[in-house]
Amino acid sequence: MPDQATADPAAAPENTGPENTAPENTAPENPAPGNSAPGFAAPDFADQEIAAVEIVGVRTVDLAPEPAWPGADAADLAGLVTELIGDQAGAWDLDGHIPREIVRELGRAGVLCAQAPAAHGGLGLSNVDAGELTAHVGALCSSTRSLMTSQGMAAWTVERFGDDAQRAEYLGRLTAGETAGVAFSEPGAGSDLSGMATRIETEGDSVVVTGQKVWVTGAAYADLLVVFGRVGEGAGAVLVPTDAPGVTVTRVPDPLGCRAAGHADVLLDGVRLPADHVLAGAGLPLEWLVTSALTYGRLSVAWGCVGILRGCLAETTRHARTRQQFGRPLADHQLVARHLAELHVAERAATALCAEAARGRDAGGPEHVSAAVTAKHFAAGAAVRGAASAVQVLASAGARDGHPVARAHRDAKLMEIIEGSTEIGQLLLADHALAVWS
Amino acid sequence: MSAQATQPTRESVSENLLAFLERRIKSAVAPDVDLFEAGMVSSLFALELVVHVEKAFGVTIGGPDLRLDNFRTVEAMTALVLRLSEAPGA
Ligand SMILES: Cc1cc2nc3c(=O)[nH]c(=O)nc-3n(C[C@H](O)[C@H](O)[C@H](O)COP(=O)(O)OP(=O)(O)OC[C@H]3O[C@@H](n4cnc5c(N)ncnc54)[C@H](O)[C@@H]3O)c2cc1C
Repeated sequence: MPDQATADPAAAPENTGPENTAPENTAPENPAPGNSAPGFAAPDFADQEIAAVEIVGVRTVDLAPEPAWPGADAADLAGLVTELIGDQAGAWDLDGHIPREIVRELGRAGVLCAQAPAAHGGLGLSNVDAGELTAHVGALCSSTRSLMTSQGMAAWTVERFGDDAQRAEYLGRLTAGETAGVAFSEPGAGSDLSGMATRIETEGDSVVVTGQKVWVTGAAYADLLVVFGRVGEGAGAVLVPTDAPGVTVTRVPDPLGCRAAGHADVLLDGVRLPADHVLAGAGLPLEWLVTSALTYGRLSVAWGCVGILRGCLAETTRHARTRQQFGRPLADHQLVARHLAELHVAERAATALCAEAARGRDAGGPEHVSAAVTAKHFAAGAAVRGAASAVQVLASAGARDGHPVARAHRDAKLMEIIEGSTEIGQLLLADHALAVWS
Repeated sequence: MSAQATQPTRESVSENLLAFLERRIKSAVAPDVDLFEAGMVSSLFALELVVHVEKAFGVTIGGPDLRLDNFRTVEAMTALVLRLSEAPGA
């Protein structure tokens, strides 16, 4: 492994690895080719009036993609994110890092876990509003969006399973600039999390955590990790500071996509912590614990995929209007126009499914659990197809690492793997269909 | 919702839960059947069950109450709901 140099977790691992210098991408004249949409905003929809759809016959909802969060504070968030990311997403992707100051700034602004309750220092956004913010970030930078997904999952797990003292402590920290990753996966436990072997064992007033986690998004930046593992016959989650003795964070070298999201493997070698680091819900069946976190993560990833589609729409429509071949703009060639139409439909449909799941979550109904799987499943597939067709429309103009559509193409593919792969989603959805329809 | 308007009774809670389960499991369930041992609860459905209990009865189930034993049977869930609805501030 090229980056064992990062074995000391206190040594700012993301700054020590030579593996991320991306030597083949040093072309200095244009580090972020084509990334000319720093102020990405959802486009004006000429057909906004037809975007109002009837949802299950109950109410009419405007699904226009403008952020609709209430109050000036929240409206400023999208602007703040746009400003912080600027035109840097392509460069961060090539470099494999988001500057630590930017991550801190986003954390301090509460953007990374925007639903965290105001009582604990969070912004308290609804799922619908946080979803639109997630899509906004996803359109700019999937690596930054990945950090939102992880931080949000960590915060939600603390909110759901923690006791009052744990909520106050950890939500306070996660809304004040500290960041967190969430660790389920292990070498022997990917799709099948029942293979999880990490042990969380209480010894007097301490707890000892032993195991190996892989591909933990954001771990290279994180102050805290929410680590899932075995507690007796059931499962539990424990909050592990990355600077605790026995924790080793090792970056995943050169990920295919979301390259600046700080994915890392984490070795937990008899990490001893005060027993109150174990979240209160410990002892539950593993599926209960992880399904709650994953449901949050699925919806967040789905909104991120909506963002990928919006980013691709912005790039393809601009290019198709301006680039001329055979004496007219690309958009006037019907086979190219078809790509634009399909991208548009994909973005609208993915948005509608995300909005339905988010409203269900805001309403607190059980339907949102399967709706999140549905939205993630559809949006990830749509983002993969949409990003591939965006590369097709841009052709050589987008066929360079760091270009927004090239990034989208790589980032989207990984969305079919995380928070339950496409196949695992299909198994869950088939079960659900059988339960509801048969 | 009407759930908070009147204090839930053992019968009303139990009836609601049995109806919810029957709708999803497609067969009637006895109030003392261990749903998990009987393999009736998939991973998604377990979470739906927790969320349903919270929504239908306007209670919040905090970390310490999220124990399997509180959800094993309709009787156990009923007892949990009654306890949480009596709690101050519920
Ligand atoms: C970008 C990225 C970010 C990630 N972030 C995190 C994170 O923050 N925290 C974390 O814990 N993990 C994270 N992961 C790991 C991720 O959760 C796993 O990669 C995922 O669960 C799949 O596991 P696996 O890679 O071991 O694939 P496997 O489980 O080995 O699956 C391989 C293939 O077999 C298919 N397959 C497996 N079982 C079945 C089945 N029963 N039926 C049909 N097909 C099946 C899968 O769909 C897949 O196509 C991340 C991964 C990626 C790529």
